[in-house]
Amino acid sequence: MDRISKEIRENILRIAHHSGHGHIPTCFSIIEMLRAVYESMRYNPKQPDYDERDIFILSKGHAALGLYCTLARYGYFPISDVFSLGVFGSNFGCHADRFKIPGIELSTGSLGHGIGVAAGMALGFKLSGNSRKVFVLIGDGEANEGSVWETAMVTANLHLDNLTILFDNNRSQSRCLPVTNPEEKFTSFGLKAMTVDGHDVSAIKEVVLCPVEGTPRAIVAQTTKGMGCPTLVRDVFAWHRRSPNSDELKILLGELNETSV
Amino acid sequence: MSQKKIRQQFADTMLEVGQSDPDLVVLIGDISHFILQPFAKICPGRFYNIGICEPTIVGMAAGLARVGFYPVVHTIAPFIIERSFEQIKLDFCYQNLPGNLITVGSAFDYSNLGCTHHCYDDFALLKSLPNTQIIYPASSAEFDILFRQTYRNESLTLFRIPENQHEYPIDPSAIQFGKAIKIEEGKDITIISTGPQLGNAVKARGRLLIDGWDTELIYVHTVHPLDMPLIRQSAEKTRKVLVVEEHNRFGGMGHDVLQGIYDVRGLQFASLAIDSFVHEYGSYEELCSGLGLSVDGIMRAVKSNFKK
Repeated sequence: MDRISKEIRENILRIAHHSGHGHIPTCFSIIEMLRAVYESMRYNPKQPDYDERDIFILSKGHAALGLYCTLARYGYFPISDVFSLGVFGSNFGCHADRFKIPGIELSTGSLGHGIGVAAGMALGFKLSGNSRKVFVLIGDGEANEGSVWETAMVTANLHLDNLTILFDNNRSQSRCLPVTNPEEKFTSFGLKAMTVDGHDVSAIKEVVLCPVEGTPRAIVAQTTKGMGCPTLVRDVFAWHRRSPNSDELKILLGELNETSV
Repeated sequence: MSQKKIRQQFADTMLEVGQSDPDLVVLIGDISHFILQPFAKICPGRFYNIGICEPTIVGMAAGLARVGFYPVVHTIAPFIIERSFEQIKLDFCYQNLPGNLITVGSAFDYSNLGCTHHCYDDFALLKSLPNTQIIYPASSAEFDILFRQTYRNESLTLFRIPENQHEYPIDPSAIQFGKAIKIEEGKDITIISTGPQLGNAVKARGRLLIDGWDTELIYVHTVHPLDMPLIRQSAEKTRKVLVVEEHNRFGGMGHDVLQGIYDVRGLQFASLAIDSFVHEYGSYEELCSGLGLSVDGIMRAVKSNFKK
């Protein structure tokens, strides 16, 4: 894990501690995916709405804190702003609001929505002959929702090759409805699916940048909930929506620091 | 007189508007596929029979709106409004995006298909969300005129297309979004109807006149926002108001009317509406009769609820 990934995670921990909010483990599983996307797509933090930008949608909206800290790292706003997370009057909620935060393309929270809207945007770009791309990040838990698979079928049927689905396979549904073999499932739904190490930024970038003709893509990222802090990984359900107290913060920061680069 | 079906008018209007507006995109859930083929042919790339997956259709339409298109979503009413309500709420309304939902199967139009294909809570559901409009065009001309007036505004608009038309001739220049129409002047009672029920209201007016009731008739094609100034003016004159609608009583037009006139002095109010599932099979007319949404039903409602 490199310095940037550690820095983003450290900010997540500090803000979760400060605010008393945050879904830390789920945020920790997507950091490298977010980095790979922001290091591949067209965007301009100084002009977040510029016309030719590509689109990223965080469909698993409860990882908003992870996205905020990543957007701050890539220049959308200072990280100090995010410390107001969840406070009355703050722009930063535990799910993101597109009218409040630059760089947020869709307000998400309820699972299974981002992929449908992303498909519509991808269709729209094709209709206008535009080369803009759409990336949507969904979770394996989110893939319990039927709308995910409805839309997956439709994207393949409409050949939306400007759409990339990033599938955060952190196996969060192991205790209820696991989504086994997602690569095979997406393939059988007609998408071009591939599996990568979800914590290897360059490996994800390689597949994100690789063009596919005629077919939408599903990148199954093998990830670990809580990646970077063994305490979170070990007790992932207890930490799902918890924020660390001062002692816990110290432990988690120590563990993060010791994670090998 | 054989009139063009409103659903056919919908297809014709898409074709005409689509030719001049490259931003109009039509997404359907395997309904009206055949009649929309002229649009599909003349406007290539802007017609999608997406499949039987209404939440995805609504979500994708919101995505199209997000990148500058004016989408039309079309299928049977309950599958858009009820099944995909969260997509309407979050993908359109929460994101403040414009679009158009055009439903067939108004209320219990699919009379012999049973409750799964009925939808009589669409007014209530849509009204509960911000930035929505509800149009209930009960003639082909009304659909065509009101669609052109509204489809490109910045709201989410529901067009509830009924199978039956009211067959009352209305001057096209009087059809204005948001404006109710005074069909007949009267002084004893106001009957406010929407949808094809205007036909029954007109017939009931003639019979009521014989019985000594001079009825003022108001017709509503725009259910939301409702034209309260016209309704209130009439209520203040007659102080007796009967609302007739093919919708659930809760959250229907009757509720909005009453909320706007409750303080009219000496007001008497009643409404003919739907109270529960409509379990019967049969024709549309038979179901209407059973619910009192008929000429006889209106006569009975007037005589049992109002004192002259």
